[in-house]
Amino acid sequence: MSCDRILAISNRVAHQIMKDRRSLALIIVAPIVVMSLVGFSLVDQEAILNRIVPALLGVFVLFFTFLLTGVSFLRERSQGTLERLHVTPVSRVDLLVGYLFGFLIFAMLQSSVILAYTILVLPVSYQGDVWQIFAVLVLLTIVAVSLGILVSTFANNEFQVVQFIPVIIVPQIFLTGVIVPVDSMPWLLEKVSTVLPLRYGVDILVGIMLNGHNILNFGTELVVLAGFGFIFLLCASLTVRR
Amino acid sequence: MEISSDIAIQFEKVCFSYGKLEIFRELTIRIPRGEICGVLGANGAGKTTAMRLLMGLLKPAKGSITILGNGLQRSNRNRIGYMPQLTALYQELSIEDNVHFFARMYGMSAKHERNIAVDKVISLVDLVNRRGDSVSSLSGGMRQRVSLAVALVHSPDLLVLDEPTVGLDPQLRANFWDHFISLANIGITIFISSHTMDDANHCHRLLFLQEGRIVADGNPDELRSAVGSAGASLEDAFLHFVVKETQ
Repeated sequence: MSCDRILAISNRVAHQIMKDRRSLALIIVAPIVVMSLVGFSLVDQEAILNRIVPALLGVFVLFFTFLLTGVSFLRERSQGTLERLHVTPVSRVDLLVGYLFGFLIFAMLQSSVILAYTILVLPVSYQGDVWQIFAVLVLLTIVAVSLGILVSTFANNEFQVVQFIPVIIVPQIFLTGVIVPVDSMPWLLEKVSTVLPLRYGVDILVGIMLNGHNILNFGTELVVLAGFGFIFLLCASLTVRR
Repeated sequence: MEISSDIAIQFEKVCFSYGKLEIFRELTIRIPRGEICGVLGANGAGKTTAMRLLMGLLKPAKGSITILGNGLQRSNRNRIGYMPQLTALYQELSIEDNVHFFARMYGMSAKHERNIAVDKVISLVDLVNRRGDSVSSLSGGMRQRVSLAVALVHSPDLLVLDEPTVGLDPQLRANFWDHFISLANIGITIFISSHTMDDANHCHRLLFLQEGRIVADGNPDELRSAVGSAGASLEDAFLHFVVKETQ
């Protein structure tokens, strides 16, 4: 593992996104628009709003990071730069960690903007420490980057990456407590939700932001979420050479 | 298997297939250090496959490949410069940023040393005035030049170049060859694929490849004289060997 290579890769990833002004605007503007729609349409239903907003924070990080990583990595493959990287001394770990850091910057930037907007503009009751929220979002970013790299292995173009959204992201939105609380879902769907990483992220975020719990109260959820991140990273490292 | 320290590249009985399509059957090539060895062949002859096998991007079904006395371990990779057929550059980044990025991938972490190396190769490929421009704004020939700069920036001992002169104007092609010859003179080995006879004329040694088989191996003069007619060109020699092989 080389720190300089990791830094170079993360700088390059960040630099590429910065140069792509439309994507950058989309990362920031789209979540704000969705948050506004949700916030103002549920203005009279405070209980629902307070539960949905923390969950949506997790959804945005997972969705945008997954999409951007999938497309970026696919471009690496299709334009031949990934192959060119493979003939240099760069290791899989350098590549994965470099990508992770590059996208982490944007995931955190996006989260900061959404969080600030949610707290300052929307009528949301908010509790908990900010650093604890960001710690959960870092774990979700690891999951999203790894999933994005994995999916890019099975896609031949950007359109095919987008087609993975209904398979990978949408079930997580419906089954992990974002819309309907998990414990009020049918037994089978509740069981399915246990293998979806967003469920654990949402549980912790809702616990911290809505109920003011400490992150350390969610030891099991944190371990499971980190476990998903680790397994997906491992799978991504196995497919990164393909 | 004995590997001489004077051998830069060794393919030893390499077999490779794409599915059921056999490309190489027991391909054996030995290239000494400091030699410019050109692989010539028609489209689909196996030139790029040979280069990709050499760079470890494909794995042989049988046989072994040795580079600079070793396999292609990670520690060995910064001794090799590879220019793929596809220009393989980051389109959004500038020429300078691309070359800097790959220099860092090759382990050039010291900024001062890297700046000198980057300036040198950008000057060599004659893109000093465009160094800040994004690759997406460049012509095909200019992208080829950036790709070559990336392959050269870490001063490798072995250069593997897959059709490096495609899209270059005659003046620039001549400049490239002057540089390749000067690199060979200081002991750098160059393994180059091409389908133009202009490139072939500059090589110390040529391998004519036809459907995965080496149909001729020798220096340009030897190959020309094998045709048996005075004033035969390398193109005549190539056709001579290909026709002989297919009969």
